[in-house]
Amino acid sequence: MLAVNQISKAFGGINAVDGCSMRVERGSITGLIGPNGSGKTTLFNMITGFYQPDGGTILFNDRAIHNLLPSQICHRGIGRTFQITRLFWKMTVLENMIVPVRHTGWRTLFSQGVKKHEEERAMELLDLVGLTQFRDDEAHKLSFGQQKLVEFAAILMSDPDLILLDEPAGGVNPVMIEKIMQLVDDLNQQGKTFLVVEHNMRLVMELCQHIIVLDHGQKIAEGEPSAIQNDPLVLEAYLGSTEHAGA
Amino acid sequence: MKRILFSNRFWLVIILIILLVFPLAQHSQYYQHVMIMTMMAAVLSSSWNILGGYAGYTSLGHAAFFGLGGYLVALAHNYFGWHPFISTWFLAIIVMGIALLLGWISLRTHGSAFVVVTIAMVYIFRLVALNLPEITNGARGLTQPRPGWGGVQWSPEFIKIPFHYIMLLLLCLTILVSWRIRQSKFGLGLIAIREDEGKAEAVGINTMLYKVLAFGISAYFMGVAGGIYSYFFTYIDPQFIFDVFTGVTMVLIAILGGRGTLWGPVLGAFIMEPLGNWIIGEFGGTQIHLTIFGGILLMVMLFMPQGILPTLSNVINQRHKARMAKVVA
Repeated sequence: MLAVNQISKAFGGINAVDGCSMRVERGSITGLIGPNGSGKTTLFNMITGFYQPDGGTILFNDRAIHNLLPSQICHRGIGRTFQITRLFWKMTVLENMIVPVRHTGWRTLFSQGVKKHEEERAMELLDLVGLTQFRDDEAHKLSFGQQKLVEFAAILMSDPDLILLDEPAGGVNPVMIEKIMQLVDDLNQQGKTFLVVEHNMRLVMELCQHIIVLDHGQKIAEGEPSAIQNDPLVLEAYLGSTEHAGA
Repeated sequence: MKRILFSNRFWLVIILIILLVFPLAQHSQYYQHVMIMTMMAAVLSSSWNILGGYAGYTSLGHAAFFGLGGYLVALAHNYFGWHPFISTWFLAIIVMGIALLLGWISLRTHGSAFVVVTIAMVYIFRLVALNLPEITNGARGLTQPRPGWGGVQWSPEFIKIPFHYIMLLLLCLTILVSWRIRQSKFGLGLIAIREDEGKAEAVGINTMLYKVLAFGISAYFMGVAGGIYSYFFTYIDPQFIFDVFTGVTMVLIAILGGRGTLWGPVLGAFIMEPLGNWIIGEFGGTQIHLTIFGGILLMVMLFMPQGILPTLSNVINQRHKARMAKVVA
């Protein structure tokens, strides 16, 4: 579904992502892990069009997307959340849900902002994350975990095929983590594909069927969770040299 | 009865009727003049608000489009004999076209950089007007024949009345468009851009298109107003019409009334413009009205940082809630 080929990005003299290739299969939950600064978020930003890659290609459903605007990539069917939750803080929760609704053409641009069926869909999704009672509250009034859930639910409004989650469990309490995991799993059953960046290893190992490990902007390993846990290169990247760790 | 008194539509109709009969009931040329200038300030501030209020891009350079509209209308009147009351609506489309192009360039910048770019825009327009004397008559400015219709010049007693009604028409149109935008997907997108532009782009809003379009639409009304203004005064010159202070005034009015709200800029204009005229009348044409404006703005910023209208509606809402709570208890 998503194919990243030999992609690179440098900031100043530092190669944040360095000739990285990876694939995300349709219907999978793929994990993307690696130590801090290994290039995970940079890769995310290239897939979603926020950065132009210096070299390499990104194909989504066999069409190149690396030259498109973020909004165009969104319209192709890729949705994302941000590492630090981003909402339209002074807009209501409902409005936050409505903004991502996909629409094209001049006539719809000037049509009613919040339509009945959009509102109904938004309420369904808010119900899914258990936040219907906050529909008319401004987004900044919600707790951190609730904000994450709203961001997540809002992405579903544009009905993406591939959803990129950047640290969905970061700073969230254990109960909420369970809830998010359950949601991802349910949506995956319904056919959504996920690419997840996460530091919470329990979440990654339980949720993902396939894991890709980055270090210094390069892919150092990929495979099933059990294989990754015992991969010497991965252990070295996370814990330092295996010789020292073993000693 | 009570329900009618509290409905917005009722008050809108009342205000519209007052504005419709005003020039017929009020024969003082001075008050007629102040009313026209007040409505013009409301038009400028409201259309500035489409970009500056909804999308959050503070342009201090909208005077460029006001002036351009003025020049185009004056030139078309002098060279081709097109009546400004008609030509201004069409010539403003040219203004809009130029604004779309300039917006496409300038809206790559954000925050203070954008403010500076828009100020530069005004000076560029002024320089062009000063340095094309064959067309614009340079620093001497352009004069138009005295206003009239079909070869008949309007008498001094009558002259303000047509201007009153065309400005009222323009004001209604501006508010209508601003309202329609606020209610639409487009307006929702603009507000999303104000809140978090990167996020808006990520959820599928073509932010550049939205911003440029907002820029163009707001410039259109600037252009129309500029055209009417140039005919009203029958004289324009580059120093006066391409003035950053014109841009600053409409921004201050919008901030005072409530930036980003539909009625805030209108309210701001109906406070500031008559007040400014009264002060000038009372204390003479000194700079004292600027000092007083500054003081008022400071007070509003300190005590009602969102502007007058949002603060007032907050107070009313809270009172309403408190009353409802009492009723329930």
